[in-house]
Amino acid sequence: MSLSLGPRRLTVESRQVPSRLVRFLAPTFSVALAFVIGALILLATGQDPVLAYTEMIRKGFVGRLAITGTLIIATPLIFTGLAAVVSFRMKVWNIGAEGQFILGAVASSGVGLWVGDQVGGPAGIVLMLVAGALAGALFAALAALPRAYLNTDEVISTLMLNFVALGIMNYLIFSSFSFWRDPGRATFPVGKFVEDVLFLPRMVGRLHVGLIIALAFTVIIWWALRYTKWGFEVMVTGDSPRAALYSGMRVDRKILSVLMVSGALAGLGGGIEVGGVLHNLDPRALSLGVGFTGIVVAALARLSPFGVIPVAILVASFSNAAPGLQVLGIPSEIVILLEGILFLCIVAGEWFLRNSIRVERTAGPAGAEAPVS
Amino acid sequence: MAESVPEVPSGEAARLTGITKHFFGVAANEDVDFDLRWGEIHALLGENGAGKSTLCSVLAGLYHPDSGEIHLDGEPVDLGSPHQALDHGVGMVYQHFRLVDRFTVAENLTLGHPETGFFTSRRSLERQVGELGRRYGLEVSPQAAVWQLSVGEQQRVEILKLLYRGVRILILDEPTAVLTPQESHNLFGTLRALADDGQAIIFVTHKLDEVMAVADRVTVLRDGRKVGGMPTSEADPATLARMMVGRDLSVPERPRTAPGEPVLSIKGVTAEGDRGLEAIRDVEIEVRASQIVGVAGVAGNGQRELAEVVTGLRRPKRGQIIMGGVDITRSSTLERIKLGLGFVPEDRMRTGMAGGLPLAANLALKAYRQPPLSRGPVLSKQAVEDRARTLEKQFDIRGVRGALPTSLLSGGNIQRAILARELSARPRVLVAAAPTRGLDVAAIQAIRQLLIEEAEAGTAILMISEDLEEILDLSDEVIVLYEGQVMGRLPRDRADPDLLGMLMAGRKVDAA
Repeated sequence: MSLSLGPRRLTVESRQVPSRLVRFLAPTFSVALAFVIGALILLATGQDPVLAYTEMIRKGFVGRLAITGTLIIATPLIFTGLAAVVSFRMKVWNIGAEGQFILGAVASSGVGLWVGDQVGGPAGIVLMLVAGALAGALFAALAALPRAYLNTDEVISTLMLNFVALGIMNYLIFSSFSFWRDPGRATFPVGKFVEDVLFLPRMVGRLHVGLIIALAFTVIIWWALRYTKWGFEVMVTGDSPRAALYSGMRVDRKILSVLMVSGALAGLGGGIEVGGVLHNLDPRALSLGVGFTGIVVAALARLSPFGVIPVAILVASFSNAAPGLQVLGIPSEIVILLEGILFLCIVAGEWFLRNSIRVERTAGPAGAEAPVS
Repeated sequence: MAESVPEVPSGEAARLTGITKHFFGVAANEDVDFDLRWGEIHALLGENGAGKSTLCSVLAGLYHPDSGEIHLDGEPVDLGSPHQALDHGVGMVYQHFRLVDRFTVAENLTLGHPETGFFTSRRSLERQVGELGRRYGLEVSPQAAVWQLSVGEQQRVEILKLLYRGVRILILDEPTAVLTPQESHNLFGTLRALADDGQAIIFVTHKLDEVMAVADRVTVLRDGRKVGGMPTSEADPATLARMMVGRDLSVPERPRTAPGEPVLSIKGVTAEGDRGLEAIRDVEIEVRASQIVGVAGVAGNGQRELAEVVTGLRRPKRGQIIMGGVDITRSSTLERIKLGLGFVPEDRMRTGMAGGLPLAANLALKAYRQPPLSRGPVLSKQAVEDRARTLEKQFDIRGVRGALPTSLLSGGNIQRAILARELSARPRVLVAAAPTRGLDVAAIQAIRQLLIEEAEAGTAILMISEDLEEILDLSDEVIVLYEGQVMGRLPRDRADPDLLGMLMAGRKVDAA
């Protein structure tokens, strides 16, 4: 492919293996470009980009309150980000983290309400979290079983199941007098709160130990993908399902296990959100798109488990800063916009990892060329 | 297209001087000179990885050389893209065809053609295609959709496409690799007719007999450098082979060890193909220890399905498969592997290897389940790497660069790696499908040697091959498959090419 521009010509060559420098430069450049485009949009709408960006950094990172707030928002994103990483690594597309997260919250709040203060704090919390993970895994299995044995399209099924989960949660609180709903509040329906002993312990301010659990699972997932037979099979199946079958691997079981692990991570995230932040089943707080944002986080992290952490924190800082921007008259939607632009720029940046561009003079002799990027 | 060439031009069609092209610091071409005259067929001979395809890609505008010059018809040119090369009358038929399957032949010809307007005259196009086809033996129906055509016919469409674009310098990259002997013969006729009309043709191959049969001149490449060139009339196969490989070649000798116990029995097996039709029917084959049973046949007569049924990738409808006394008809692939079944699949890049992964991972594909590569659920990266280094050395696998994808290796090295993996598991039965297809002379020799040694060591080998020479050189017994059925079975000393050829074409022969 080439493009002529006057006396110069741009030629595109595909590169099979990007160099270290390019692998560092492409995403860095992409992020920078996203902020430049964001600034242009702010300028075009009559806002001051410098003010907006400094406010975003200030409200996202400066001061204890800002940092803990960002980390609290980042915690569930790390879980849904990991959920996407695990499944996307095998080229199985779990788009259902949103629903699995919601059902994880439903299950853990249900278990929390059920055990009350009967088993004590630690045991109760563990039960809640296990229930969340289990619910996420089982909900993912609804899509995983037909995918593994009937080869249905998991993108469609996991996506659709999100709406099922949302419907279940809304029914439990808004449309019925269920076990989850607080009967004392007749005016506006709310979820019943679990006992105080079932609150996740806090570390600094409102920041709860969910973050530590998230970091621990990041390490576990990294290790499992890299240093276990299971991880090896996931890698081979992701690259070539035929080669996996040929070498005696059970591809159906791999699909099932990967989707269920992915669902369990998202469900655990939901459980931790209930145990650490909400303490009840709160449909409005649980349907902010944490599962979908997790997909963006995983993509920006280039499917690296450790990459998920900084990306989740960055994205969380945007959300954390949004209300503060509103106060200054900057529409808070700018952070959603920025998230989208960031995503597009990174995806476009991927192209530079796979192709190189040469600028050369059409008239000059061969060899008068300057490789760029 | 070029209006029919009025007179046969003479002189130089193309000259490449000092072409150098590096990939990741490895020289694919190093200071290569090459010249091409109008009206000649010029063979470019070399092993896989010798730099033939790179040199052609430079001339076809696909790669830009790091240094060196290209002259076309005496004029210096700078070819920035295949498009520009086409404008200069240079076109290449790639090994993997670049046709749109759903389009008709005529549509494929007009696709991307500079004179294609919004409306085109179908009739004049079809007339031209018919004319070109008759003149050069490239008959193919312009209305046929490409997916309906045989591989040989698709290749004709590729050539027609270039002629229709007005190409006068035609490059064919290993065109016979996908053809039957008969189709190759026809192709040679076409190339000769084109050359007689003044076109210049570069014919890339690693097969010596093809060079001798069709080329006027030959240039030999080795390790990216030109090692020699001469008119074919002055060349002989032995000299060319030595130039190509860099040393003398000896034909592997198959010693005759008495076969042992039957190890693999395929009893009355019937299985369906991908489209639900019976692909093999009532197949009976027995392979004994230390025996190589060759399965011959024209491609698509049930060979692939046979291999898949034996290795567990396909379920048979009827029949029984016994391995070492155990009925494995319903066993999983993994159980068969554990019983000692090795498999060299026909499709190396997608089935035999996970092409995107590093070689070390691919060499561990089966051994990763046991110590020392893993203990319990934990995999030892170090043991995987160590084992890969050992196998690379033992089986002479070259070109491995750390974590780069396996698919970047040459075909010969990939096949060596597959054999390294399968043979290191010490199999009792080895199924080898098309073990040397598409490989260069040295690799073919090495692979065959490995198979022979493996048989000598007691392994029962079921070898499926479309290469008759290979079947005859290696097999103790030859089975001919035709339309999924065993057409004949011959002991090695009674098998000869003529007899096998008749059986492969579906004719009953009494002697069989």
